[in-house]
Amino acid sequence: MTGFDLFVQQTINGLTLGAMYSLLALGFTMVYGILELINFAHFSVFMVGTFVAMGALQSMGIMGQSVILTGLPLVGVLLVALAATMTVCGCIGMGIERFFLRRLRSVKGPAQMITTIGISYILSNSVLLFIGGQGFNFPNPIPMLKYHIGGAVMDVRQPLIWAISAVLMIGLTYFVQSTKLGKAMRATAQDPEAARMMGVDVDRVVLTAFFLGSAMAGAAAVVFGLYYNYTNFYIGFDAGLRAFTAAVLGGIGNVPGAMLGGLLIGIIETMTSQFISTNWAEVVIFSILILVLVFRPAGLLGRVAPNKS
Amino acid sequence: MSTTTAGAIAAPSQAGGKRKAAIIVGLLILLLVFPALSLTGVPFLQGLASQANVDVIATTISYALLATGLNIVVGFAGLLDLGYAAFFAIGAYLYGVFTAFQVMPHWSGFWEPLQMLGLVQKMSIGGADVVHFTLSFWLAIPLSALVAALFGVLFGFPTLRLQGDYLAIVTLGFGEIVPIVFLNADPITNGAAGLNGIQAPSLFGYSFGVNSVPYYYVAVVLIVILTFVSIRLRDSRVGRAWMAIREDEIGASAMGVNLVNFKLLAFASGAAIAGIAGTFYIAKLQTATPDMFNFNVSAMILVMVVLGGMGSVWGAIAGATVLSVLQFWFLQDLTNWIHELGTATGIGFLNKLDLVQSIDLIFGVILVVMMMYRREGLIPAVRRSPNLNFDAQHAVVHRGGFIGVERLGRYTVEQGNALEVSDVTVRFGGLVALNKVNLVVPSGGVVAVIGPNGSGKSTLFNVITGLVQAESGSIRFRGEEILGLAPHKVLEKGVARTFQNIRIFPNLTVLENVLIGEHARLSTGPVGAILRPPGTRAEEKRAVEWAKDIIALFGNRLAPRTAQTVSGLSYANRRRVEIARALASRPKILLLDEPTAGMNPNETLELAEQIKDLKSLGLTILLIEHKLDVVTRLADNVVVLDHGEKIAEGPADEVRRNEEVLRAYLGRGAGVSHAA
Repeated sequence: MTGFDLFVQQTINGLTLGAMYSLLALGFTMVYGILELINFAHFSVFMVGTFVAMGALQSMGIMGQSVILTGLPLVGVLLVALAATMTVCGCIGMGIERFFLRRLRSVKGPAQMITTIGISYILSNSVLLFIGGQGFNFPNPIPMLKYHIGGAVMDVRQPLIWAISAVLMIGLTYFVQSTKLGKAMRATAQDPEAARMMGVDVDRVVLTAFFLGSAMAGAAAVVFGLYYNYTNFYIGFDAGLRAFTAAVLGGIGNVPGAMLGGLLIGIIETMTSQFISTNWAEVVIFSILILVLVFRPAGLLGRVAPNKS
Repeated sequence: MSTTTAGAIAAPSQAGGKRKAAIIVGLLILLLVFPALSLTGVPFLQGLASQANVDVIATTISYALLATGLNIVVGFAGLLDLGYAAFFAIGAYLYGVFTAFQVMPHWSGFWEPLQMLGLVQKMSIGGADVVHFTLSFWLAIPLSALVAALFGVLFGFPTLRLQGDYLAIVTLGFGEIVPIVFLNADPITNGAAGLNGIQAPSLFGYSFGVNSVPYYYVAVVLIVILTFVSIRLRDSRVGRAWMAIREDEIGASAMGVNLVNFKLLAFASGAAIAGIAGTFYIAKLQTATPDMFNFNVSAMILVMVVLGGMGSVWGAIAGATVLSVLQFWFLQDLTNWIHELGTATGIGFLNKLDLVQSIDLIFGVILVVMMMYRREGLIPAVRRSPNLNFDAQHAVVHRGGFIGVERLGRYTVEQGNALEVSDVTVRFGGLVALNKVNLVVPSGGVVAVIGPNGSGKSTLFNVITGLVQAESGSIRFRGEEILGLAPHKVLEKGVARTFQNIRIFPNLTVLENVLIGEHARLSTGPVGAILRPPGTRAEEKRAVEWAKDIIALFGNRLAPRTAQTVSGLSYANRRRVEIARALASRPKILLLDEPTAGMNPNETLELAEQIKDLKSLGLTILLIEHKLDVVTRLADNVVVLDHGEKIAEGPADEVRRNEEVLRAYLGRGAGVSHAA
């Protein structure tokens, strides 16, 4: 492959990876936008999602790479897997908010964040204890079709992943921008106290944000499984930290920013791996995280938050 | 144990302190004689003090070292560091790289002096002479403390402007980067395979080898020293500054704490301790791989600190001990029991459970349970406030100003103006908060600033004290430009303030709050705090005396509550603490932002008389106040702000009749109806 072909190839790969990061970043950004909380539990909700998706697919008879579907059956199976995973993850997210974080909402300091670290540990290590620490072969019913674009190759799963992500993100944007609850959500993000006085049920808004964010993590989990055909109990940390970087890069609290940041981080990761070294991809990503936080804490699309002190 | 006056006041009683000292001495003796139990000949004791157990205790102590260090960063200074293992790794690799058989440059004359110092050896591999580094463990300990501290400053620097959560994420990023760098720096670190054959320490020619006992004693010495250091730092000007930052950053800087220096000092101190722990840990293990320093280690240390109690020195040690005992002894036994239960009951699932592997699950449970139910930890850092008796609780309303106000001494009234604010403009985005405001406060005078809400009064205070930047203009204090100075510099010049919404340090005692006010007038640094030479002792003693003198000014309002945490005080008392704190800084001008807000008429009158006292001593005062009777009573001159502009100035009575002022306060047309 020529240098240009490599560039095209890594752009395709990067956009796919980026679509997944975007979905995952949305959860961080929605919760942060409303509660100013970095939700470390999100890492593990995503990881649990890959296991839920795996279970859903297996229960529909799709084992490993042996069952290949086409047409309507394929669409049906993927939709069921997505719906199941998104629902379960959404409910886990709601549970975390309802039973743990809500009770700490008025507590100052790092208590909430430390709690989310704890929950993240509990989730990932419960999977380790009860399901196992080995890698799992994630079922993939999608046929192996490849398209050639110049010298680059595109797997059929890649446009499929873009489509899934695009539909979900458009849906979420519509929800946040155009529905009553979405409007309440934006109002709460601006000023929870004022929103409450205007009759917004803040508890319900927060719960919705957790549900939607975690459901997006569930969708990201399906995407992850289909793309890598693999999962284990600690994938949440690496993917989650990249997605968090994406959310910060785009401007944390900003929904379009999370999408943009996800795509950028995906492309940066594949390009670094291709043109520098796989070993340094993580260092590059975390360096970006640090540089953005230090020099432009508001991110690419975010505005500078007013000083609340 | 600590014997500072602050500590002694806060201690519940002398007997309690003695009991605590006895427990600590007892534990220490137990630790010292423990390995000797293997010499007793009693089988049980010999088993207890086996090499394996001695080794586990030494490992436990290295975790306790880490927890002690992280407690300085997270517990004292309130900087949530999620990448603490990075400094552990730096200390470990420093010793590892310079003693393992990994980096071996060709021998040349350059190395000969180092060979004479015993830092390198000449070796011959395949006929070629190469260098083998043999850095002494005893040299590596201070060296790794120094190098890790430097990295602490380096990593800390970009995070200084960030608060809370963002700080956690950046440190997490550094914590990820450092092990990856060690992983990728293959020629130096041997990558994922790690360094092997790291040299065992030796003392007077005796190599520690793989005998656990000498490591154990090194660990005991280290933990004793570092606990001592940690306590000495806590009970000093340095520790108070850290806690002030933790409690309220803006309040701390306004009271003279240099945020940059003290945050970096906290990072560096914590990092240095981690560096020491790293060198020790790796010398004992004699092998180092990058995955020994990943996020899980940072998280584990955090769990230890959280479990023990953030900010609590003994808590950090207790947390490390509990978790290590769980990890190294109890879980293995528990797993075995569960397996036996599985075999006995025929439930195959139980046989597969391995709890040792799921120590992280337990860490998670501990974090959640502690945060939900016991955030102060096993051994809370905040001591319980002693109960007040009836007399102490009963407020003695005192008329006629401060009690014994002469203790403050007379302020020298200088010629001319103390404060000159000229043409100061402050803009927030498109909003003009102050527009070319001019104001003078003559030395020894009292000037009041009044105006409707949102007229820019507090912004005026903020720009004078350096919390807000001005777009243009000049602020001269005693002839010297102070505009653009950092808040702590402004306080050092003698400008002290209180805040409209009270910014005292909620989890600290009344005495500690007032002592922080003296921060800029004291000089104790970290070395003085640790070694506590006579000069430092004397300074601390004077500081406490001064603080108590000031507290006593308020009569029985504050004096019986010296050892109480201020979060439990009444609203009026919290205002008094803030004023006491400002007075403790020996100000030349005092800026009071609505000092009587929220006070009842009696309390207002009491405070007004006290302010009058300060005036009679010659202290210059700039006052924001809504209660016009207070203003009339106190102020020589009144400045009226409205929408960021000065609309009137003059004696109180005159200003009261000013038409524009009435309009600003009561609305358009008010002035006309008054005239009619």
